[in-house]
Amino acid sequence: MKKLSIFLLLILLGTVLAACNSDEDAAATDGEVSGEITVWVHPYTSDANEEEAMWDEIVASYEEKFDATVTIETIPWGNRDQKILTALAANNGPDVFYAIPDQMPQYADEGMLLELDPYLEDNNMDDFVDTALVSTKWQDKTYGLPILQEAYTLFYNVEVVEAIGKDPENLPSTWSEFEEWAKAAKEEGYYAYSYQGGGSMNGTLYPFLWQAGGKVITQDDEVMINNAEGVEAFEFINKMYEKGWVPEDSITAMNHDAIWNADEMLAVQGSGISLTNLQESGLDFVIAPPLKNKEQRTYGTTGMFVVPSNSDNPNAAAEFVKTVTSAENQRRFNTVTQYIPARESAKDIFDDQKYLKQLSQYTQYALPGVIHPKGRNIMPMIQAEVQTMMEGEKTPQEAADAAAEAIEAEIAK
Amino acid sequence: MITLNNADKINEEIESHNKGKIPLKDRIKRNKGNNSNSNKPKLPLKERVKKQWDRNAIVYIFLVPTLLHFIVFQVFPFAFSFVLTFLDWKVIGDPEFVGLKHWIAFMNDGLAWKAIWNTVLFSIYYIVPTMSLGLILALIINSGVKASGLFKGIFFLPVVTSFVIIAGIWGWLFRGTESGMVNYVLSFFGIDTQLFLADSDQALMVLAGLSIFKVAGSTMIYYFAGLQSVDKQLYEAARIDGASPLRIFWTITFPLLKPIHFYVAIITTIGSFQIFDSTFLLTGGGPNYSTTTIVFYLYQQGFAGLNLSYAAVLSYVLFFIILVISLIQRKYLGQESNHY
Repeated sequence: MKKLSIFLLLILLGTVLAACNSDEDAAATDGEVSGEITVWVHPYTSDANEEEAMWDEIVASYEEKFDATVTIETIPWGNRDQKILTALAANNGPDVFYAIPDQMPQYADEGMLLELDPYLEDNNMDDFVDTALVSTKWQDKTYGLPILQEAYTLFYNVEVVEAIGKDPENLPSTWSEFEEWAKAAKEEGYYAYSYQGGGSMNGTLYPFLWQAGGKVITQDDEVMINNAEGVEAFEFINKMYEKGWVPEDSITAMNHDAIWNADEMLAVQGSGISLTNLQESGLDFVIAPPLKNKEQRTYGTTGMFVVPSNSDNPNAAAEFVKTVTSAENQRRFNTVTQYIPARESAKDIFDDQKYLKQLSQYTQYALPGVIHPKGRNIMPMIQAEVQTMMEGEKTPQEAADAAAEAIEAEIAK
Repeated sequence: MITLNNADKINEEIESHNKGKIPLKDRIKRNKGNNSNSNKPKLPLKERVKKQWDRNAIVYIFLVPTLLHFIVFQVFPFAFSFVLTFLDWKVIGDPEFVGLKHWIAFMNDGLAWKAIWNTVLFSIYYIVPTMSLGLILALIINSGVKASGLFKGIFFLPVVTSFVIIAGIWGWLFRGTESGMVNYVLSFFGIDTQLFLADSDQALMVLAGLSIFKVAGSTMIYYFAGLQSVDKQLYEAARIDGASPLRIFWTITFPLLKPIHFYVAIITTIGSFQIFDSTFLLTGGGPNYSTTTIVFYLYQQGFAGLNLSYAAVLSYVLFFIILVISLIQRKYLGQESNHY
């Protein structure tokens, strides 16, 4: 509570400062780009020097075009939400900051973000990967431009694949094929898949829900989690747990690294980050495309830059967002950070890297989660119902209905 | 509230520095005397203030920084968060006054009550075991066994180790699969694989176990200090009278530790009601909300859901719960011990 109180005090102090500062807002909407902006970024890799050099180049490419100066501030990931909220409330926040998909609609819905559409007419928008733009829009307005994407897909342990008599060159692409492999794995005493029920639903239910053709909730608050497609996803997870295809502790597990590293598991979900770890571990693996049932879908976050609505210099800030997400700068950024560029044309940086090239093709299937201001609030509710189902206390249909009911109650608040 | 205590302590310290080397008891007596005297001749307020200032000016000057800090970082946020409970707080833009909306929402929020109940359950699993384990450990190191310093160090190790690491080890020990350490050991006794953190009946107990493991070392230190201060003559007398060790423990040691019991009970109770990190690190509140504690729920509401006003309501509820329990404990445990 002490922490909270301090936080609230900071907010209040901020409001006081904001009141003192309010006459500054008169600045520009006439399209002129000048002055100074502050950009908040995060440490995307462990190499601070290389990142600094990268930002210097990106900033130089901006300052070449515009008569404005940019200050890059690297903010640690921990408590980033609190830091941004506090600073924005204090009106001394950044002019541009890095945002993640579940943050964007929440902030946009509170009116905290600047709509970027008026600035985007001259920006080559077709080059962006379609799925990357999903998380930048709320109620048909654009609030950010993406710089990076990730795509989760299935990584198979070759040793296990061979042990169950399957062909690592010919991996499952549909639910039914995957089920067949899972059965074979179980018979040979392996776990088929890592279901991390204590973690984010983006890694558990949601991808299956999208693959089944379902949706959690629309932007118009229509709850769809318990329609036929949704229930199919609940059933699939229930089946995996009941049949022992996933470990017994999957209800709340946060990871199954120990099992995977001991070569006792057929497949895990992974993205570019897991790739680095896997290559280091020396485990022999193959990457499969995301699974398909009705649709081929997976989860993959999007990283974007947004402008807070109380920025003192919205023009310069919006132009910076455009510059930093240009094809050229996406190449710079993603070469250093090893994420997947959100522009098709920038994906050529991975042309000679086998695995990253393969992963970068999958971002077209990667949805960024539930894009809704209540996306974060409803996740624990859905999680609780899935857990209840896995414990055997509710049928998939009952669990999906209960989740829908809980979501509706939350939306109505 | 912890800080309140700290502030008091600091005040006391400052005072004791200024009063020189008069023994504590005398000072207390003198203070009492002062109080009763000042009640008799009622000087005008102005003069009383002046007299007080002349006598203790330096104390007040030294107190200013502490008090300022206390007001700015404690009193003010505390009061302001109460105002917040009546507003719909938008981080940017004007807050809207909504009256009792959030308080009413709390009354009807089944999940909040479940979170409170979980926290109460957690306290039941946690407080008494932590106190008794701490006492047992203290008795061990106080018993004069060889290498008691080494034991002290080992028992205290979890306290100084980062919670994240301890939680990681605990989660690894209690993995709910066949290959989990504890399950492996249990299998020798013919016990089936237990789900532990993935079972809504067991998860909270496993988390309580983690906290006991983590905190028992520090309660041990309090009890150890308490044991050292028990008058050795009492033990001697009891032994001469032929009392058994068990009898000595229950009639001398245990009752004389009452102030320590009180202190440790308060500290562990407050700690147990503020439990957050183990849930956050190991279960994410699940399965099915069975480890969603009040602070975890508050965090979800406030910082994940941006529902700051409702989070403020929850923090006030938590405050009142802790306050009431502390008052009850004070009533039953906190009277001055006047055994012997």
